[in-house]
Amino acid sequence: MSQRTETAERWVEDFRRVTNEDPEIQAHGKYFSCSFLLDMEQSRFLVKMHEGKVEEILTNPGPLDERYQFALRASAETWRKFGEEVPEPMYHGIWSASFQRDLRLEGDLLVLMQNLRCFTRQFELLRQIGVPV
Amino acid sequence: MAQFSPVTGRYVTIDVLGDECKVFFLENGEGQPLVCQHTAGCHNHQWRDLLEDEEITRNYRVIAYDLARHGKSDPPKNREWWKEEYRLTADYYTAFIVAFCDALELEDPIFMGSSFGGNVALQLALRHPDRFKAVIPVEAAEYSPGFFLDWWQHPQANAAQVCASGVWDLMAPQSPEKDRWATWFYYSQGSEAFRGDLYFYSVDHDLRGKLDQIDGEKCPVIMLTGDYDYLTTPEDSQRTADQIKGGEFIEMKGIGHFPMSENYPLFKRYLQQALQRIENRTGG
Repeated sequence: MSQRTETAERWVEDFRRVTNEDPEIQAHGKYFSCSFLLDMEQSRFLVKMHEGKVEEILTNPGPLDERYQFALRASAETWRKFGEEVPEPMYHGIWSASFQRDLRLEGDLLVLMQNLRCFTRQFELLRQIGVPV
Repeated sequence: MAQFSPVTGRYVTIDVLGDECKVFFLENGEGQPLVCQHTAGCHNHQWRDLLEDEEITRNYRVIAYDLARHGKSDPPKNREWWKEEYRLTADYYTAFIVAFCDALELEDPIFMGSSFGGNVALQLALRHPDRFKAVIPVEAAEYSPGFFLDWWQHPQANAAQVCASGVWDLMAPQSPEKDRWATWFYYSQGSEAFRGDLYFYSVDHDLRGKLDQIDGEKCPVIMLTGDYDYLTTPEDSQRTADQIKGGEFIEMKGIGHFPMSENYPLFKRYLQQALQRIENRTGG
């Protein structure tokens, strides 16, 4: 197993754990059911949420596996800055980074907006566990 | 013994271009009037800590109102407002503020507002330099496009949560969590007015090419912007201040677009700098 694969697998488990244990998501996530892609340039993760819990995370899914509703795409450098404990200005959220940096929001953004509170919280959990790129 | 706040609330009815507006305002303190405008889609409770700050209110009469349609201020009483799409204009907004200050018979008030309140502070400096002692535009620029969006009222999304979480990362991550959540809570309450306010913020407010008409010597313009503001960045505010005769800009480090409600102790330090500069330039 390569170091990169090992790092990705550990991150998948960490992301699952902090999401499922997060009091905020669990308090408000009854309807947080959707699927999204986190494209970190060097690796991609397809996250499937069901009622506030991580149902499955696919690492580097193939073309036929990619049935997600919306996607966040940015350079690995940007994702690394998202994952800092106190991110510098413009790397502190999906809107700041999409307005001012290279984050692109794609797909069915209505789904993102319908789940914005919980998704925003889950995104910020990256500050606890970092990113695998 | 009950713990009463020194802040008091009252209503005043004013005429705004023919609209009968019953306006709710909070106030505390004595001395130089300091009139405070909340951000778009919000209300005067954003200024809660300033209103109760004994050090400031010793010398300043802090007055924070709710714009019509916000907080405890109703829409116009004499008009069928529900038959029109709400779109705030610069003409209406500035008329509202002047009418409010006139109704309270305020002499030489300092006007301070954040976000769309900061942008209207620039409008006041342009249109009414004789009516205000100075203005403090917070998180403001001569032009701030991009936020007059249908997202805020999309019927298939929860508008309260979209408005509140959509502006969440306008705040700095290191601001106190309880204050960020209080700010989020305020935004969950104002979704119906938010989009219409942003018509002013992102469309009707456009002072490009007009900043040289603002006389910052007559009415000092002291701008404050946080470095976590992705809508109006410090560079935007610096560029704006540079084009105003006598305009000044202070960058606020480690804070975002709602400084007075997301981290008041930090904002206070910069506000005191701005107030000191106004005192120095106007003789107190």
